[in-house]
Amino acid sequence: MSDILLDVQNLKTRFRTDEGAFNAVDDVSFTVKRGQTLGIVGESGCGKSVTSLSVMRLIQKPGNIESGKVMFKGQDLLGLSDDKMREIRGNEIAMIFQEPMTSLNPVYTIGDQIEEAILLHQKDLTKAQARERAIEMLRKVGIPAPEKRFHEFPHQLSGGMRQRVMIAIAISCNPSLLIADEPTTALDVTIQAQILDLMRKLQADFGAAMILITHDLGVVAEMCQEVAVMYAGRVVEYGTVEDIFYRPKHPYTRGLLDSIPHFETGHKLEQLKTIKGMVPSLYNLPEGCRFAERCPYAQDDCRKIYPQLENFRGIRKVACHHPLTEEVK
Amino acid sequence: MSTPLLKVENLVKRFPIHGGILSREVASVKAVSGVSFELKRGETLGLVGESGCGKSTLGRCLIRLHDTTSGNIIYNGKDITHIEGEELREMRKKMQIIFQDPFASLNPRMTIGAILEEPLIIHNLFSSEKDRQDRIHELIDLVGLRREHLNRYPHEFSGGQRQRVGIARALAVNPELIVCDEPVSALDVSIQAQVVNLLMELQQKLGLTYIFIAHDLKVVEHVSTKVAVMYLGKIVEMAEAEELYRNPKHPYTKALMSAIPVPDPRRKEERIILTGDVPSPINPPTGCHFHPRCPIAIEDCKKIVPPLENKAANHIAACIRA
Repeated sequence: MSDILLDVQNLKTRFRTDEGAFNAVDDVSFTVKRGQTLGIVGESGCGKSVTSLSVMRLIQKPGNIESGKVMFKGQDLLGLSDDKMREIRGNEIAMIFQEPMTSLNPVYTIGDQIEEAILLHQKDLTKAQARERAIEMLRKVGIPAPEKRFHEFPHQLSGGMRQRVMIAIAISCNPSLLIADEPTTALDVTIQAQILDLMRKLQADFGAAMILITHDLGVVAEMCQEVAVMYAGRVVEYGTVEDIFYRPKHPYTRGLLDSIPHFETGHKLEQLKTIKGMVPSLYNLPEGCRFAERCPYAQDDCRKIYPQLENFRGIRKVACHHPLTEEVK
Repeated sequence: MSTPLLKVENLVKRFPIHGGILSREVASVKAVSGVSFELKRGETLGLVGESGCGKSTLGRCLIRLHDTTSGNIIYNGKDITHIEGEELREMRKKMQIIFQDPFASLNPRMTIGAILEEPLIIHNLFSSEKDRQDRIHELIDLVGLRREHLNRYPHEFSGGQRQRVGIARALAVNPELIVCDEPVSALDVSIQAQVVNLLMELQQKLGLTYIFIAHDLKVVEHVSTKVAVMYLGKIVEMAEAEELYRNPKHPYTKALMSAIPVPDPRRKEERIILTGDVPSPINPPTGCHFHPRCPIAIEDCKKIVPPLENKAANHIAACIRA
């Protein structure tokens, strides 16, 4: 059995709108190993969510997956029929979204919704068995008195509880890959800590691999083994979590790390380091490096030639003409 | 010592809940229950806490966007808790607010120029059109936007730029005190840092006093001179920013700080994970409101309402176990 569960190669997802066409995901490649967590970080609009939706083949018009391969357990998901893909979704790959209130149906009880997911994917179960399993899942995700909660509606639960229900639905069919798209962004910090803790425990129990999409580098440092940093539709840096945090090579990665205020550094009333300017419009991308406009190290070649994602040592990849060498303390 | 710019004494804000066919008051939410503090000119008070702890309600009470149920708000030696009409409008020139969501707080049908001109007209600040335009240009320079932006509409701007417009609008009337209600939480990190720097720069340049409301403790520590931690409508701990972060006393503050994910993969610290959710403010727990989630609670915590008392120099906390 190979170590690699998901191998995404040169994925390109294009959106055609009235104002023009753009590649929300542009030549993106990454791998996810069994039982491990890959973090995809980047700011709003960098294509991290579209990447995950492309893997699930949930891209809708005006978007379209133009090219690339999504190899999952040796087969290319992009070549599967819709029926086959539906079997993979939920059974093999499950997804957790950011906003639990909008992803749960407000007019059904949470029990019904978990049961539905189970019955849909495990057709040999009876209704009673599915119900038993649903209650068991609720217990697994730490919902107190699951028999009682089973009959409640989403609005009766708090944000953290709703996210637990979403996780219960996602893991109810024992998927081998879980895609979590900003799973804790809408939650308070103390609740975020609970949910991250839960996800770590469940991952250990179920042995599932995970893609964690987030803009919070703190969450990445805590949860992931490997990290892909995305900017304007492309992966600009890829490596182990230690590489990314201690030896960032791309100036954008470095800029992101620097712009977080830290505790206990005694830099009171000092300015935060910023990345000047803002993300370029995807409709109108520069010819050269997409970060050049904002990059403190940019030189002439950066503005002319697009830097390809090149291999460094091991899994390490960087798309920069002038990679940084300095370590972060 | 100079008199504080803002002094708040035992502020309470209760929202009634109506029910039944006669819409009688059946219960009430004590969104803010007995908050007191002082703030000097040029300082920043950071208010932190989780959703529903009353931090935004408190901020709005302070600048009289909500009427308070009881307690006093003393601004520059003057009690403004119940002032009305013309007097209140005069006061509003001195106190402004910046909102969290730069998408919802700007009128989509008004150009940036019109948005910035409105407060000048309402407060009758400049008699001639030209003076007003000069002031608008001054404001747009101050927040780092360009003059050609004035004829554009809010949807043409990014989140960070819109927040700059919100800041310029608040500054238009030359206020002394600005309540910043989660001003950066809707923004990306790299943009967040730009806006935080702008706010701090303006504070120095214009001598502003801020009430900075946020749930992000790191940002609050960075900008604040003094920090108050709120839980279910009450301040549970307050101290100078550095002291509070170095030496937190209240178990809730400790848990909040330990819950923040640290961007350092090697750091594997034992984390305090609180169980359960924030209880309903309609029917808060007896004794210390925090006791059901508190890792060090004892029997007494269920009975005794802990007073806010000195635990160190200029450091108050409400906990009988601290």
